[in-house]
Amino acid sequence: MSSEPLLRVENLKTQFFTEEGTVRAVDGISFEVREGEIVGLVGESGAGKSVASMSIMGLVESPGEIVGGEITYKGETLFGLEEGPDGELRERDDMLSSEEIRTRIRGNEIAVIFQDPMESLNPVFTVGGQLREFIELNRGLPEDEARAEAIDMLREVGIPDPEERYDEYPHQFSGGMRQRVLIAMALACEPSLIIADEPTTALDVTVEGQILDLVDDLQEKYGTSFIWVTHDLGVVAEICDRVNVMYLGEIVEKAPVDDLFYDTKHPYTNALLNSIPRPDRTVTELEAIEGVMPEAISPPSGCRFHPRCPDAREVCKRAHPDAKVVADADGEPHEAACVKHDAFDAGYDQSPPLEGTAVDTGSAAVEESESELTANPAGDDSGGETRE
Amino acid sequence: MAVGESQLDGETESGAEDEVEARVGWRYTVARIKQDTTARLGLYIVSFTLFVAMYTLIDSNLSRLTFGQVSDYTFAQLLPFFDHPTHIPPPGEGTQHMPPYFPLAEQSWNPLPAGGTLEHPLGTDHTGRDYFTRIVYGTQVSVFVGLISTFIGLSGGTIIGAVAGYYGGKVDDILMRIVETVYAIPPLILIIVFTVFIGGASIWYAVLGVGIAFIPIFARIIRSQVLSVREMDYIEAAQAAGVRDRNIIMRHVVPNSFAPMLVYATLQIGVTILIVAGLSFLGYGAQPPTPDWGQMLNIAHRNYMHSNIWLSIWPGIAIMITIMGFNLFGDGLQDALDPQIDD
Amino acid sequence: MKLLKYATYRLLQSIPVLIGISVITFLLANLGPGDPVSLMLQGQEQNEELVRAIEQRYGLNKPLHERYLTYMGGLLEGDLGQSIHYRRPVADLILERVGPTLLLVLSAYAFALVTAIPLGVVAADKRNEPSDHASRVAALIGVSTPSFWIGIVLILIFAVKLEWLPSSGLVYPWRPPSTYRSIDGHLELYYQSLRHLLLPMIALGTLQMATIMRVERTQMIESLQGEYVKLARAYGVPERTILRKHAFQVAQLPIVTIVGANLSTAIGGAVIVETVFNINGMGQLFVDAIQQNDYQLMMGVTMMLGVLFVLGVIVTDISYAYIDPRVTYGESE
Repeated sequence: MSSEPLLRVENLKTQFFTEEGTVRAVDGISFEVREGEIVGLVGESGAGKSVASMSIMGLVESPGEIVGGEITYKGETLFGLEEGPDGELRERDDMLSSEEIRTRIRGNEIAVIFQDPMESLNPVFTVGGQLREFIELNRGLPEDEARAEAIDMLREVGIPDPEERYDEYPHQFSGGMRQRVLIAMALACEPSLIIADEPTTALDVTVEGQILDLVDDLQEKYGTSFIWVTHDLGVVAEICDRVNVMYLGEIVEKAPVDDLFYDTKHPYTNALLNSIPRPDRTVTELEAIEGVMPEAISPPSGCRFHPRCPDAREVCKRAHPDAKVVADADGEPHEAACVKHDAFDAGYDQSPPLEGTAVDTGSAAVEESESELTANPAGDDSGGETRE
Repeated sequence: MAVGESQLDGETESGAEDEVEARVGWRYTVARIKQDTTARLGLYIVSFTLFVAMYTLIDSNLSRLTFGQVSDYTFAQLLPFFDHPTHIPPPGEGTQHMPPYFPLAEQSWNPLPAGGTLEHPLGTDHTGRDYFTRIVYGTQVSVFVGLISTFIGLSGGTIIGAVAGYYGGKVDDILMRIVETVYAIPPLILIIVFTVFIGGASIWYAVLGVGIAFIPIFARIIRSQVLSVREMDYIEAAQAAGVRDRNIIMRHVVPNSFAPMLVYATLQIGVTILIVAGLSFLGYGAQPPTPDWGQMLNIAHRNYMHSNIWLSIWPGIAIMITIMGFNLFGDGLQDALDPQIDD
Repeated sequence: MKLLKYATYRLLQSIPVLIGISVITFLLANLGPGDPVSLMLQGQEQNEELVRAIEQRYGLNKPLHERYLTYMGGLLEGDLGQSIHYRRPVADLILERVGPTLLLVLSAYAFALVTAIPLGVVAADKRNEPSDHASRVAALIGVSTPSFWIGIVLILIFAVKLEWLPSSGLVYPWRPPSTYRSIDGHLELYYQSLRHLLLPMIALGTLQMATIMRVERTQMIESLQGEYVKLARAYGVPERTILRKHAFQVAQLPIVTIVGANLSTAIGGAVIVETVFNINGMGQLFVDAIQQNDYQLMMGVTMMLGVLFVLGVIVTDISYAYIDPRVTYGESE
């Protein structure tokens, strides 16, 4: 961590205020993106990855709202709160206005590639027209230059006969081709950071490979930073430099890509890795993660992963760990949010294992609320933060 | 909790099923309608018009009132607090001396008073009949005509659409060509031509005509529903198990199309009332002396535009509120049964 | 050109429906209990010879299918038979009367589209705000009110009470000004025809307006939730441009379909509105034909109204294909 990173997200909290209650979709995550690197944001669907990336763009849709934290991009505050005179939180003065974010940040500084190439392009405008519009808007080029640039960009992302395809409509493109168009859009605006929100999930495996290669090449050529949002650890291994693993709105492990795979520090990451089919193991050896991810509307107390965690002990029901540095990976910190590491000093080793572990989230939830009523939390949770 | 014991092994599955059922079931629908203010308003209006229609039906006699004969009912029974004459002539005694509250009794005295009095809150029409009474009784024609002809359209359309969709091929082609053709003639025109064809202006013919004219709409909806349901696995399973076609259609296909049809039918009742009002306005619906809103508007519009404008206002408001009730209720049902966009 | 090919294809495709319409109207007109001959001789002495002569003249003594073929033969040459009541060719009468009806229906649609689309867009943009609620209530009233009653109320307000606008008749802008006694000059002609058209146009257009507004609102809300809108936002496109261009363009496609599908309601409505405003169009001609038991005229008018509807749907289909790039002018469908 030598110089100021390109993007720094600190303790970001985004919540959705629904009729059923408040959904803590993103609950205090911190990470950073440096120049020229690809940072992975990994997790199951519903972990809050997409919400996190939309929060950076200031594009959280109602009833969602960023309620806390700080987002700094190139030294400018995209989001930040301060305490007002009457004790209420208010937006900081140096925070960019929504109009400034729209004109100065979106597209020309931070661009996105969305998940669904089928729906992301407007069906009634030509592909070239849409590309040209974004180039005109974000680079201030006149129409004819923007057009030439658009055609160049289409060629760059590997679309054959770009002059002709410029005037075609999205439905005349295949899924992979459309994803290439979306990549062209992102690159054409010459941003410093591209947020790729599951860009290959909807594609065939072969096409996915081509797209990943393309992004790798282009990233090298343009030096653009990426936040790569995905649920696929295979993709992460192939493309990312550093990885953040998310579970239920929180980052549970943070590490350079190799360390994440070879020196896994969080049981959830471990479970994710074990659930990937591999040629060297039979299906019976595959370990699916037990249960389903609970809803972010009523997360389990303590460590949010404990109802599904094979290593869970009594202390995990009470202690809610924030990520801490647990190892050093060639000068890079390796962070994990699990009390079993010594750095937490939460009394994990003394804590008895959970009874009837991790089979049914429902019964675990009941048990846990009961235990909270009866048993007082033991006094030795100095390292871990308890909620409440 | 004996049930819980026996279902223990399949707990998660049955739980999920219950939830699905709760979401599509009646209780869920009703709950959603109760939540939705506009749907609730629709429900109130519909219930009120149905009540009025039923009351006037019991009070008099549908066949005799609506379909053209004088009968022995009194408005006094409907709203007893009104000042009304005590002497009620027995049926068959003639209409000349009937008091003005009889919707059918023509009076020659006291034509077109302004209204606003307790005796005649909305005044009287050109023959001295109490306008308010006639508007209340007009509910009957509108509501029953709306219900009956929608039912005709719905059942005819269901049969044709289900058969066409289920069998496909030539049957589908022929039926749908006919349906398309009928659909291509504007309903009002078709209904009038049809009415004349079977023997002249009458409310019954209008009901039948409206029903037939709306068969195509229902047939098309049912057909598309059937086409989507037909491809589903359980239909194939039923076919493989040798269940007879008619049973498959009636037991599996039609019930599955029930929700959208209910919504369409409710909305269609409003359209039907609109069309029948137009028919009556042109003179091809309910015939005098039956109290009917469209027909009352026709008379008021032709003769009393300048002398008493209110005669042209009240029946229109009655039509509007009734149709609005069905539309609100239909919209509410649609939201409850198929929440495409959540408002 | 592709579009022309598509138009021809759609036209050919509708031939069975057009034939179907002719069969249905022919059967309804000829199989009814009313005996055309006795209707024609109403009030006259009926003698055998006269009846026979009339049957001979109108071909009523031939079998039904032969009569239909004769009728269709005439139809192909533009001969719709003779009106018994007017004692003139039905085709001539229709040509005379189709103008006002088209003027009425088209202007009603113009009124509906011009008002409903902006209102629908605003309602979707200001969703669940007071202006949205107000426009939804207005739309609900619009779809629940009979056009003839709107006409009557408009007459009561603007013609009877305020005396601003005429309550009946039309002034045809395509006729020379000299046909009207009190009008000189084209400007005056257009002014008067607009004044006459205003009330019936609103009366007929309100239902369409309300329908279109509801659909526009729903479609805009849906379109505004589209992924392409998210993408446009993410690239810094101003909200106003998104509303007016990106979301708007996609939302207009269903409107075209609605316009086509509602045409039959509009034609039916025109019949009634013409009665209210005393306009000598197809609707009045139809009502006359029914009242006079003029079965030849009835057949001709019914068929023409059906044809108008079918043509209208074809026009909307073609415009849909023109607007939506995804429609392949295909042999499929």
